[in-house]
Amino acid sequence: MPADAPVAGASRRTRSPATVVAGRTALAASRSGAAWGAVFAVAVASSAVSYGTLYTSRASRRALADAYGSNHATSALFGPAPHLDTAAGFTAFKVGMSLMLLGAVWGLLTGTRLLRGEEDQGRWELLLAGGTTPRRATAQGLVGLGAGVAVLWALTAAGTVVAGHDPKVDIAVGSGCYFALAMVATAGMFAGVGAVAGQLVATRRQAAAWAATILGIAYAVRMVADAGVGLHGLVWASPLGWVEELGALTDPRPTALVPIAALTVVLAVVAVTLAGRRDLGAGLVPDRSRGRSRLGLLSGPMGLAVRLVRPTVLGWWAAIAVSGLLYGLVARSAATAVTGSSVHDVLSRLGATGSGAEAVLGVCFLVLAVLVAFAAAGQLTATRGEESSGRLDNLLTRPLSPAAWLGGRLAVAIVVLVVGGLLGGLAAWLGSASQHAGVRLGVVALAGLNLVPPALVVLGLGALALGLAPRAMSAVVYGYLAWSLLVVVIGGIGATGHWVLDTSVFHQMAASPAVPVDWTADAIMVGVAAVLAGCGIAAFGRRDLAGL
Amino acid sequence: MSADDAPVIATRGLTKRYHGTDALVDLDLEVAAGEVVGYLGPNGAGKTTTIRLLLGLIRATSGTAAIFGLDCRRDAVAVHRRLAYVGSETSLWPGLTGAETLHLLGRVQGRVDDAYGDELVERFALDPGIKVRAYSKGNRQKLVLIAALMTRADLLVLDEPTVGLDPLMEQAFRLSVGEARDRGQTVFLSSHILSEVEALCDRVGILRAGRLVEMGTLAELRHLSALTVEATFAGQVPDLASIPGVASVVVDGPVARCQVHGPVEPLLRVLADAGVTGLLSREPSLEELFLARYGGRDTGPVVDPPASPDAG
Ligand SMILES: Nc1ncnc2c1ncn2[C@@H]1O[C@H](COP(=O)(O)OP(=O)(O)OP(=O)(O)O)[C@@H](O)[C@H]1O
Ligand SMILES: [Mg+2]
Repeated sequence: MPADAPVAGASRRTRSPATVVAGRTALAASRSGAAWGAVFAVAVASSAVSYGTLYTSRASRRALADAYGSNHATSALFGPAPHLDTAAGFTAFKVGMSLMLLGAVWGLLTGTRLLRGEEDQGRWELLLAGGTTPRRATAQGLVGLGAGVAVLWALTAAGTVVAGHDPKVDIAVGSGCYFALAMVATAGMFAGVGAVAGQLVATRRQAAAWAATILGIAYAVRMVADAGVGLHGLVWASPLGWVEELGALTDPRPTALVPIAALTVVLAVVAVTLAGRRDLGAGLVPDRSRGRSRLGLLSGPMGLAVRLVRPTVLGWWAAIAVSGLLYGLVARSAATAVTGSSVHDVLSRLGATGSGAEAVLGVCFLVLAVLVAFAAAGQLTATRGEESSGRLDNLLTRPLSPAAWLGGRLAVAIVVLVVGGLLGGLAAWLGSASQHAGVRLGVVALAGLNLVPPALVVLGLGALALGLAPRAMSAVVYGYLAWSLLVVVIGGIGATGHWVLDTSVFHQMAASPAVPVDWTADAIMVGVAAVLAGCGIAAFGRRDLAGL
Repeated sequence: MSADDAPVIATRGLTKRYHGTDALVDLDLEVAAGEVVGYLGPNGAGKTTTIRLLLGLIRATSGTAAIFGLDCRRDAVAVHRRLAYVGSETSLWPGLTGAETLHLLGRVQGRVDDAYGDELVERFALDPGIKVRAYSKGNRQKLVLIAALMTRADLLVLDEPTVGLDPLMEQAFRLSVGEARDRGQTVFLSSHILSEVEALCDRVGILRAGRLVEMGTLAELRHLSALTVEATFAGQVPDLASIPGVASVVVDGPVARCQVHGPVEPLLRVLADAGVTGLLSREPSLEELFLARYGGRDTGPVVDPPASPDAG
């Protein structure tokens, strides 16, 4: 309608650039908050409802509580499990740690993407030229992020409350909302960590790496605290520990909200303050613009790949090795706790051989497998990044075929994964040997190698996606990883043998070193990976190069 | 087939369609060995698309493209051994220094003239010890140019290679392309800087909305086009617009400027009668040719005005 036109134009003009930042950030954060929130809600609701069908008798609930209630291995990995004889307690234990970690990952990815990634791509330059200050823009960006966290919370709470309505589940509205708050607390804190990291370093990728390192440390500290080695006080040294202390759905202790809120506010204030102290597009930590030229690796595309992925790969290796070491350190005491319990029975039924510590490590190595698989996903996004940024043009306009380039990148990735798996195994052996846990080096080293085939499947799947649908690759890879993870977490305690379980790559992996490596399964996974990668390489050579 | 008279670039019916957009339609192009060919066209005309097809980075919807008689897509690796490419918005690895980038790109290329590379680094006044992320845009472009020129490849494929270069560096670029021509290298140059094309190119192709609308030497193109005449009058400026063949009349005080198509005689007769005190006439520059063709008075879809950034 023509009469409306000037009015609309005027209202657009009165919107200040700073609220534009808030609006855009809020929209983007809410959108991804809604997507993840839906996953959270389904995870919570499905495990709450499944309790009633899986554990029908009082006896089976008691057995479950006995098996996990005082199990230091699972407590170190997934947190303590105080009330497994109720649906609420079961839900809190089953999805709590996964959602806490996923929430933290969402927070740090979204925080760095919206507060740093947009700037990296030059989108803030126009806004900041238009009359707002970096501080105000950052503050508004944080408000937008807050909107995203609120959406995540609302959906999680809705899922919990709806499922809790079921008399067999029986979670009150208030407890449901409180639980959802606990689940998104990490999202808020790590969005803050991401925002601060984004002020310190010059690129989004680096900021995300810093924030992820802090998350890794927080997880490791909490793990030691819950490992039953007499260091429970450490739980207050980790943001993940605070969330655990909230006791959602079991024994609510809202005092732990104090450090959570304080940290979130402090991080937000620090981010805004730092934003005013740095140049647009730069970080506060100085970045040397001059460097000695080191030509050693730069004699071909493979060498370049090694040079480019080196910093991130060292980070992954460190994370895997430190986790392996920690598992090794706690394996013995955890094994003592489970001996004679029904966990022991479960493990023996799975075919567990060897010492109790080896059996416990069999459970822990699932987490290492997840780390190695995420490292594979990281290699894939780095590979795709070379193409989408246009840097690959420099190589493919020279005498180098697309297939040779992609093959080289995948070869580098395979080395990264094999070394990662072995490092995890060796570190676990070192840790357990220091505690005289009676873990055999050969067995654990093989179990380390056994972590690689699932990651190779992820790599192969990503290569196929890269060949067929490059812009969707990241979604395919991380989607499949999240699915695989969800399936083992949800299926891990109860049902077995269901076909849905078989779709999870982690379910295909034998729980070594608790049980012997299943060479047939590994060979099949490697074969599947090879076929997928081969098809991906062929398709990549056949398609147009695709930018962002 | 002898190597000398076979065309270096030969396309037949080359077409690229993106979901409904015709980026390039039925391109028949031949570039002979040793030629320097300019490739012009408004934004979105399909220049970059042509070049990416020639490089085998994208697939043709239909038609064929060959370089040195080899298929651009199937034999891309063999073709790339003999060509060097410069793009207009190249992204490089931000963490590598200039020297590292040149070393890497040289090694991937396989064959480079290191001495010439050093000379080019001097000529373009590039400091190779700086990391790519700290280079200015122009310096990044110089790096890409040096990496391509130092290969001394038989064919240089250049897509707006001087975007962001200052006038001094523009001169260095022209000098280098001149050297390449003198050595018998073939050059395919897409550019919006028409003076650059005019100075360097033997032949020029003009692309519009994906179609090659003009191809010929500069003299041939001028022949097809108008002569620019500027006349200063002592008294009243006569009505020039009604003279047959005269167009685009602009009167500014005693000075009138116009374009003449075909015979100039009718105009000269009017001028002689009107008391002219000054007369300038010259052939149109490439810029005027281009503007005349795409400046808006032409029919067809609206085209962005051709920009010539940093031409000063
Ligand atoms: N990946 C793509 N997907 C869809 N359309 C594309 C793609 N790449 C190019 N086009 C379209 O093809 C047409 C030709 O684009 P091209 O980049 O070749 O133009 P150009 O002549 O190089 O323009 P400029 O002078 O601006 O560089 C344009 O209409 C463009 O929008
Ligand atoms: Mg272009």
